[in-house]
Amino acid sequence: MRPETLAWIILLLPLASAAAITLLTRRQRRLSAALSIGAVAVGFVASLLLTRSFGALAPRDGEFLLASVRWLEVGPLTVDLGLRLDALSNLMLMMVTGVGLMIHLYSRGYMADDASYSRFFACLSLFMFSMLGIVLASNFVMMFVFWELVGVSSYLLIGFWHERASAADAAKKAFLTNRLGDFGFLLGIILVWGALGTVDFAEIQRTLESDPTALGALATLGGVLVFMGTMGKSAQFPLHVWLPDAMEGPTPVSALIHAATMVAAGVYMLARAFFLFDLPAAWPDCLSFLAGISALDIIAWIGGITALLAALMAVQQSDIKRILAYSTLSQLGFMVMAIGCAKPDAGMFHLITHAFFKALLFLGAGSVIHALHHEQNIWKMGGLAARLPVTTWTFVVGTLALCGVPPFSGFYSKDGILAAAESRPLLFGLAILVAGLTTFYMARLYFVAFAGTPRDSHVAEAHESPGVMLWPLRWLAIASILGGFWGIEHTLQTVLAPAAGHGAAGHGAAGGFFATLLAPFGHAPLAACLGLFATGFGFALAYSLYASAPAQDPLPARLGSLARWMRDKFYFDELYDVLVRVTHDAAAAVADWVDRWLVAGLLVRGTLGGVDVCGRILRLVQTGNLQTYAFLAAAGLVLVLWVMLL
Amino acid sequence: MSPLIWLFALPLLGALGLLFVPASRTVLIRRIALVITGVVAFLALDLLSDFDAAAPGAGGYRFVQQIPWVPSLGISLHVGVDGINLGLLVMGALVAFAATCVSREIQQRTKEYYVLLLLMVGGILGTFASLDIFFLYVFHELALVPTFLMIGIWGRGEKRGYAAFQITLYLTLGALVALVGLVALYLQSGLATFDLVKLTEHLAANPIPAARQAFIFPWLMFGLGVLVSLWPFHTWAPLGYGVAPTATAMLHAGVLKKFGLYALLKVAIPLLPEGAKLWMPWLAWLCLGNILYCGWVAMRQRDLNLLIGNSSVAHVGFVFLGLASLTVIGVTGAVVVMVAHGFLAALSFALSGWLYGQTRSLDMTRMGGLLQRLPFAGSVMVMAMMAGCGLPGFGNFVGEVLVLFGGWKSPVLICGGLLDFRWFVAAAAWGALIVAAVYMLRGIRTIWHGDLAEDWKGVVDPAGGWRKMPFVLLLGALLVTGVWPRLLTDRIEPGARRVVEAVEASRPAPNLASGSPTP
Repeated sequence: MRPETLAWIILLLPLASAAAITLLTRRQRRLSAALSIGAVAVGFVASLLLTRSFGALAPRDGEFLLASVRWLEVGPLTVDLGLRLDALSNLMLMMVTGVGLMIHLYSRGYMADDASYSRFFACLSLFMFSMLGIVLASNFVMMFVFWELVGVSSYLLIGFWHERASAADAAKKAFLTNRLGDFGFLLGIILVWGALGTVDFAEIQRTLESDPTALGALATLGGVLVFMGTMGKSAQFPLHVWLPDAMEGPTPVSALIHAATMVAAGVYMLARAFFLFDLPAAWPDCLSFLAGISALDIIAWIGGITALLAALMAVQQSDIKRILAYSTLSQLGFMVMAIGCAKPDAGMFHLITHAFFKALLFLGAGSVIHALHHEQNIWKMGGLAARLPVTTWTFVVGTLALCGVPPFSGFYSKDGILAAAESRPLLFGLAILVAGLTTFYMARLYFVAFAGTPRDSHVAEAHESPGVMLWPLRWLAIASILGGFWGIEHTLQTVLAPAAGHGAAGHGAAGGFFATLLAPFGHAPLAACLGLFATGFGFALAYSLYASAPAQDPLPARLGSLARWMRDKFYFDELYDVLVRVTHDAAAAVADWVDRWLVAGLLVRGTLGGVDVCGRILRLVQTGNLQTYAFLAAAGLVLVLWVMLL
Repeated sequence: MSPLIWLFALPLLGALGLLFVPASRTVLIRRIALVITGVVAFLALDLLSDFDAAAPGAGGYRFVQQIPWVPSLGISLHVGVDGINLGLLVMGALVAFAATCVSREIQQRTKEYYVLLLLMVGGILGTFASLDIFFLYVFHELALVPTFLMIGIWGRGEKRGYAAFQITLYLTLGALVALVGLVALYLQSGLATFDLVKLTEHLAANPIPAARQAFIFPWLMFGLGVLVSLWPFHTWAPLGYGVAPTATAMLHAGVLKKFGLYALLKVAIPLLPEGAKLWMPWLAWLCLGNILYCGWVAMRQRDLNLLIGNSSVAHVGFVFLGLASLTVIGVTGAVVVMVAHGFLAALSFALSGWLYGQTRSLDMTRMGGLLQRLPFAGSVMVMAMMAGCGLPGFGNFVGEVLVLFGGWKSPVLICGGLLDFRWFVAAAAWGALIVAAVYMLRGIRTIWHGDLAEDWKGVVDPAGGWRKMPFVLLLGALLVTGVWPRLLTDRIEPGARRVVEAVEASRPAPNLASGSPTP
């Protein structure tokens, strides 16, 4: 089959499945699940086939295939519904459909008791369609279209249990925060189009490569505006507040959307449109105080700040899903930072491995929650290792990968990021600190929830989840272990590094198992060693505090108010509440007041009243009394005569 | 005979025919109305499919027919469509059919109701089929009168009298102001014809002096603006739609209201290009009033219909912005918003009408969790609200995005060049993406999500295909225009291009007052 046909199938099958479930099979639960899972499974197989016919793992430089239909053509604006197939999108396709397939299968077990089983799978399919659309989009407008669709599927899935107030609020918050980012994204797209006359990735790239100053004084502003899309979708500071709340959705959703795929879309966009950010700094006159700061600088620092803040917040959370959510935030910050350090290949590599192990961790957490009848507080767990053996070993694999312990996949991808940050000492130090914190909070999670003895009666009754939930865990665990050896990194370097102006001289190339295993120590020894040291230090610290299975967290006593700030997320939610209240809500109140009292009240009612009063006064004249009329007529006559004669 | 004439003649004849049916035969009356609007909707769709094949005549119009009426004044029944009014006609016909479907709620004085409804439909479709300014205006008035009567007789709530009074006063006044402008235009053209095509050709070659254009244009802009709830003349809209019977709100907010925009686009801008250049910056300011101010007002509403009404006023702002940009993309986008907003407003009011029929109240503070009881109506309403905050996949997104893209390249300078049009694009994008999302999502949250209140255990969803059909039809239309926008844009663009080119081509004509022609 032609690769273009395959791409269309991959994209459209989930949409067809969502439509079929909504319209036809809502009442047949098993059929709905089968449709949804089938669509992803076919997509996964087709993605693998694409690799063969197209060669994601043996890419050729800068080549891509395009399948497109003209979607819109008005005046100088043309937008194609275009699918862009290259090694980058192919890799993402495999990741999204692969992890998606695991999570779809897992959902069959996890959601088995839910009354809205079919609706869940319909929403999942809609999400897959939108996400695959982002991956395949060949231009900015299409990416924005699917970007928004992903946002709405996320809204529907966070608010899946919409009768729960917390879930409904979280869904609303997620959508609105994302919209803030999309506002910048759309303006950025329009700005780029305004300067270059096209929204097509390939054409923009060609123009900017031949003339990096083609965007003029708006270059950096355009980059930052487009980056706002990433800030929303990938929950970067200061738009990070929605992601932890999004954990109100069912756990498979957290794993698929809010850990592995959707939140990674922002990073993918940065890599896809890297040519737009990698431009010399240029600001318009009114923003000249920012001169010299390039878009990549801003991206790198936003990523770094997010990574650090989120890691600090994770340290003091007690909800198992929220710890993982903050960890996701922190890792997303890492990826963004890597791209800001002009290493999109490192960011993308971490994106892929992170998708494996974070999906694994979330599904593991889901298995725990399932076993404990929806208990999510780690301080009511403990001793799970003995009762949930498969969940535990896979969770440990995920943890080791996340902490960056060799030879798990996370080690290689995180090392790439640390190496990328080496050129910026401040960020490098920050990254090392975050690596240490990561190990600390994950070890804390393990010691409190899995090790020790049960703190609650639920734990004693807990039993392992069914096979349909455990097999995805096993497969993802294997992927988390081996992710560093599959040549993903090599592929990415070949695709992205030339664009970034760096040679493909990294590790991970086909050079034998041991060469790959030890490559990081060879090419960036400082980063690798410091990263490992931080990991070890974080673990040691967590061991000393939590290995003795305390009943309460000993940290607040030692850190005092800092611990409280960490637990309360540095009060960003409260700050934003106030901000919204003094700006938007105030504007609404003023507008409403003006509308009610001035426009509708004073002006309209006033006019009405004025007319009314005039009518009443004039009515006095209209007495029906002949003498009065005669008098008025005579007076009028006199007046006219007086005017005419004088 | 041109199929366009059937489009409005059928409902008008139907209204006439209904007069002879005994008032007690309510089912028959309703069926006649359904059949007529159904046939009209079918004819309109047929028109859409035949449009490309029909040979374009003068001014790019197709299916043209001209029947002289008062030759001495230059009045003739002249019908024809280009892409712009084609879209509006198809939208109007579909909305009319849907509005007839949801009119089942009317139980009293059924005969009068359907007579007025058909009269309104005929007037509306006649408006958008006419190429003669006289008929354009008369058909609009023909549709307005039933609007007022229907609100007055079948309206709901205690504010009914005041709202009906206010809407009548506003719209009559707006139409009157616009009429002054139209008459001035007629007299100034010196051609003694109301024929839009001839006028356009004539005035392109012999423009009215710029000073006079500058004087006539505001009469049209503000007069027509009042009809479309241009800020700050908008307060009649939310209130009026809040009390109107469902079908009336659907037809007026969805279709009839577009008359003002349509006349601005087809009459005022191309015939008075210099006036347009002068006044468009003002329009740009005012439309921000619609988009932002009315959006904020919508955020504060407690009544669902007031929320929908204010959001509808806000959406109209995008049409104004697109027109004010004076670019092909912007004007095309404006027309797409007109069509999409027609479907959306009709759908929203149809749903709120259903909800009102179930709950007898649209007070959002008393609602909550209704999605549990009304999965169908709730899902459709959530989708409608998502369409209202510009979600891709629905027609509104295409229109709004086009308006924003067009505005970015607008040549219109504001405040003598101090402010770039791009600032207005940014502000409008804020209104579309943020403000709209805030009030729509808050609406969804308070009405549909959360706990189900005890009061609403008895509410029921529309059951059966017939009752669901109007909602499905309108939602489907929104989706089709959103997924395949070229269905509209390819046809609209030539018309939009003609308007924009008329403005671009215009050179200030010698001012008569100065006496001597400038080179």
